[in-house]
Amino acid sequence: MPDKCGYTFGPLFSLVANTAVSWFSGKQKTPVLTHQAPLYPSLADSICIEQVDLQRADNHLFQQLSLRWNETRVGLIGNNGSGKSSLVRLLNGLIAPEQGRVSVFGYDTVKQAALMPALVGFIFQNPDHQMIFPTVAEELAFGCEQLGQSAQKARASALALLAEQGIESWADRPVTQLSEGQKQRVCILSVLIMKPRLLILDEPFSSLDLPTRHLLLALIHNTDTHVLLISHDFSVYGDFDRLIWVDEGQIKADGLPDEVIRSYLASVDNLSVSL
Amino acid sequence: MNKDRTLVQIALYAAVIAALGLLPKFNIPVAGGVPLTAQTLGLMLAGIMLGPVRGFLSVALFILVVALGAPLLAGGRGGLGVFAGPTVGFIVGFPFAALVTGLMMQQLKNVNLFAAALISSIVGGIIVLYAFGIPGMVAMTSLDFSGAAKAILVFIPGDIIKALIAALIAQSVLRAMPGIIPSR
Amino acid sequence: MITLYLARSSWLHHLPAGFKLCLLAASSMLILPVTQLELMLASMLATALLYVTLGGRGWQHLNMVKPLLPFLAVIMAFHFWAGSAYEGGVSVLRLVTMFLLANLITLTTRMTDMMAALQPVFWPLQWVGISPRALALAVALMVRFAPVLVLVMYNLDEAWKARGGKKQKWRLIVPLIIQAIRLSDHVAEALTARGGSSKISVRPIEVRR
Repeated sequence: MPDKCGYTFGPLFSLVANTAVSWFSGKQKTPVLTHQAPLYPSLADSICIEQVDLQRADNHLFQQLSLRWNETRVGLIGNNGSGKSSLVRLLNGLIAPEQGRVSVFGYDTVKQAALMPALVGFIFQNPDHQMIFPTVAEELAFGCEQLGQSAQKARASALALLAEQGIESWADRPVTQLSEGQKQRVCILSVLIMKPRLLILDEPFSSLDLPTRHLLLALIHNTDTHVLLISHDFSVYGDFDRLIWVDEGQIKADGLPDEVIRSYLASVDNLSVSL
Repeated sequence: MNKDRTLVQIALYAAVIAALGLLPKFNIPVAGGVPLTAQTLGLMLAGIMLGPVRGFLSVALFILVVALGAPLLAGGRGGLGVFAGPTVGFIVGFPFAALVTGLMMQQLKNVNLFAAALISSIVGGIIVLYAFGIPGMVAMTSLDFSGAAKAILVFIPGDIIKALIAALIAQSVLRAMPGIIPSR
Repeated sequence: MITLYLARSSWLHHLPAGFKLCLLAASSMLILPVTQLELMLASMLATALLYVTLGGRGWQHLNMVKPLLPFLAVIMAFHFWAGSAYEGGVSVLRLVTMFLLANLITLTTRMTDMMAALQPVFWPLQWVGISPRALALAVALMVRFAPVLVLVMYNLDEAWKARGGKKQKWRLIVPLIIQAIRLSDHVAEALTARGGSSKISVRPIEVRR
């Protein structure tokens, strides 16, 4: 009779391994958690871009760009390709500047890159690109696990946040079954659960209807986190502290939202006249 | 960044292989009425597109998720049962097929892409795969070696067509996204 | 969710996953040496009975054998020609029995429980740089994005049909792969923004809020 060991070997191996390894697993090392102080204590109250050069695909995007703010709610506007997306990616270390330095509350985004995910939360335009787990609760729990909670505790935290939001029933729902607005809400919650000090949102509302925008905006405003929001819908900047207009890698205008929007709209009108 | 990228690439390519298997429309009817699916095409492409190591890991991940209970093998098969079936050798051989395809691509760096991909797919996706599949069948079915070999001979023409298609696909993808294939 | 798991409560659901895997190993070892057709038939029927004990329409899951049938027919035919129909019968029955037993575990064990039970098996992978956490993350990512890519595939197919495409459907695989590559760039960026595949071991010092 032919040998059929190939099949039984798998489960058998798991039996042996189970007993052997459960003995060892107590000795598995967990990474040591360290706390770091900001590299630039004098900048600890603000977000700071200092003389940054950045090149993208053979052309200079930023040359000697400098920008600093400590307002809680700041907006960023500009045409497509103006450098907004690159600018915000500098702020959590996804992109490193070629020259100059970027710091968030005094922490260097390059030299202290390892702590950026705990400091800066990032919401992307398309929620389908950032949800990495099959169900809502897993998606939320991930952030807590990243911050060192055990799997059970992380799930408990996730369920608590869902309950607080009145959406407990979403917990085990597959993320593919959520509407666009629900998906973006889950994305925002899954970042807020990590309690970042700066929350960056890169056109998070572009595919959402007005009521959903307002719901999510309220969600963001209810935190004490600093917010940097990119949006093409200027109505969301109503109660923002400051608005920055970027154009071709330069700061074109910077100030109160009303004024900046007015000058932006004026320039768009001029442009259409010259067309 | 690099580590995360690699992880995501491996996982998403495994998802591509799953997508290929879930679509019955890709069945290629051949002699004997044995349906051939695009799934083995997926292994060849894993080796070509990701290279040997990531290709191997990606297909291994796919097999693991199938074993955990996802019905992602062509025809909606999945679960531990597939490891008790006559095709267990093929399933175990899947990652190695991708590995060898990737290794061959590296060896054939200086040959033109179409030819390199075709040869690599035949060596990895057919010869290596059958080297696992036939002994697997012998072990599981009490057929002797030549019997098992004859029983699966009907798949060969379809597999050669698939190797050709894999090479054509690799060529088109490289044209659309230059630099995307690791050995080029 | 894409899984064969049967969301119900039966006695088999309550057994721990690791224990079920050990039972499976033990029962296949018992089945392997059997060479009598009657005994083999009896164990197959006993296995089938287990499906009935799942309650409800549990027995309907016996039809999971269906995709195996062409293979079984080929095996039987070869044995017939070789004049060893008896052995053929035994080996076909053995295959079906082992297949059904293994699938019984899949039907009654949650994917996450299975993963947890197998965790120790993956433990040695750490030596080649694959941490259990990275593996769990990879499994989650695949389960998450498989339906997304299937949807991409269907959409491509629709667009292909709308433009009058008929034959050579394999051409759709090209845009599928391109979209998967683009998607993986975005997902990797989002993963990095949340700390990546390893836990965040460095934290900013606590501040007064």
